[in-house]
Amino acid sequence: MAASSSLHTLSIAEAGAKLRAGTLTSTALTRASLDRIAALDGGLDSFVLVTAERALADAAAADAELKAGIDKGPMHGIPYGLKDIYDTAGIRTTCHSKLRIDNVPQADSVVAARLKDGGGVLLGKLATHEFAIGGPSFDLPFPPARNPWNRDHIPGGSSSGSGAAVAAGFCRMAMGSDTGGSIRGPAAYCGVVGLKPTYGLVSRRGVFPLSYTLDHCGPLARTVEDCALTMQVITAHDPQDPASADVPTPEFTRGLDWGVHGVKIAVPRHFYAKAEGASPEIIAAIDTAAQTWAKLGATVEEITLPDYDLFNACGRIILNAEAYAIHEQDLQTRPLDYARMTHARLVMGGFLSAADLVQALRLRRELVDALNGVLRRYDAVITASSLSQAPRFSDYRDGYPVAWPVQTMPFNVTGHPAMSVPTGFSSEGLPLSLQIVGRPFDEPMVLRIGAALERALGLAERWPELEPGVASRAAAS
Amino acid sequence: MPTPPSDDDLKQELDAAAKKAGLTIPPERHDAILVSYKDLRRMTALIRQQPRNAAVEPSNIYSLVPRR
Repeated sequence: MAASSSLHTLSIAEAGAKLRAGTLTSTALTRASLDRIAALDGGLDSFVLVTAERALADAAAADAELKAGIDKGPMHGIPYGLKDIYDTAGIRTTCHSKLRIDNVPQADSVVAARLKDGGGVLLGKLATHEFAIGGPSFDLPFPPARNPWNRDHIPGGSSSGSGAAVAAGFCRMAMGSDTGGSIRGPAAYCGVVGLKPTYGLVSRRGVFPLSYTLDHCGPLARTVEDCALTMQVITAHDPQDPASADVPTPEFTRGLDWGVHGVKIAVPRHFYAKAEGASPEIIAAIDTAAQTWAKLGATVEEITLPDYDLFNACGRIILNAEAYAIHEQDLQTRPLDYARMTHARLVMGGFLSAADLVQALRLRRELVDALNGVLRRYDAVITASSLSQAPRFSDYRDGYPVAWPVQTMPFNVTGHPAMSVPTGFSSEGLPLSLQIVGRPFDEPMVLRIGAALERALGLAERWPELEPGVASRAAAS
Repeated sequence: MPTPPSDDDLKQELDAAAKKAGLTIPPERHDAILVSYKDLRRMTALIRQQPRNAAVEPSNIYSLVPRR
């Protein structure tokens, strides 16, 4: 049996192998996660609700099934967390907001149901920026999650709890959502892997929407392989999600060990190298990664794309319009129930004209065409996830708009798969990262390129030092 | 090149836009919202900088498929 204090270091595949070999039980794995959360999450606030009873029941069921030879796939018996915008039947789902503080859904979101059907063990619900947009904020029912590498720094958002929980070793995988970078930003700041799949590949049904045409559901995990194994469980066509793509489910782990020999990688260096606030450490780490892929046999060439600011403006106008449509009535009737920052961001959609939105949609088509043009010649595009290490909480003035130093919005606009992977650490010991963008529905190539870099850099074994002794403040179910 | 509007002009513009949208902006939140509003105006101008002819269609144009 593995020592319970080191169980968090087991990958999903490693834990799964031990579960199937009978050298580890899901109950032991789950108890180790719950103990770690209880001991350490008080300093991080990554969970808003710990579902210990449900987790132990899920684990006991998994142990019995595996003992009986029933194998439900790679997440069977594996603990995970859900961002608190994913509906969970009978379990409070708050969107981290006063407006939904008593909301208990009757049905699971599709992703929650697929993880449950796949034998996963739900540890609880994770902190988010309010309605996946307003944060970091201190005027909400729950405190904001903190960065495990340094509590004075933000973990990114809006999947803030998901990034923090995975980086802290509370679970190997947590689900996030990404409308302008809310999976890849926290992954970048917390030093984990975050995959925003192709638009429509993973069902959004039962996940509280922020922006219908920009929302994506995807995993944050310790490693590329953990992400790939999760995708195998959560991917399926959903006829009740209007955006759901009716495409065959890829074999996500195929190619993880193939390397990158012969792969063609494009680098739009102008996106990030000349951007305001771009950290020399981020740029150097991307350059090193590009050299690494080249040494491994890939062709790496510099290309140009339309200006980043155009992608960003296009996405933010669409996001503002769609989010406002969702929140219009509450913004008109109970504005003070939103946190100051959420309110300041959400009302913007009320000031847009119909022409503003249609002009953004016309630009969106042009930007999609431009990226597709590049990806006809290359297998992937590499660019920055974030322009800097995680900012400090003190960098933000509560209630005022946040200029996130992330460059993730372009691929919400275009819908292409994009994954943030760690590239190293800053001189202050905070994670650095880049993102890999692939052709629509070519997640296996994105994962393959990420896995090659991950192996070459060997960063997955480094863990943050956490402060014990601050008991978890998360509620228990 | 047109003169950029003053902060007072923008405040009046924001208040009028909020009234039209049926939104009440609490006084203590007004300054922060004005900052976002300035950024929104910058973005709506930016997406119009590139000339487009009438044939450039939006991304949400769809094609119908006969029921099989």
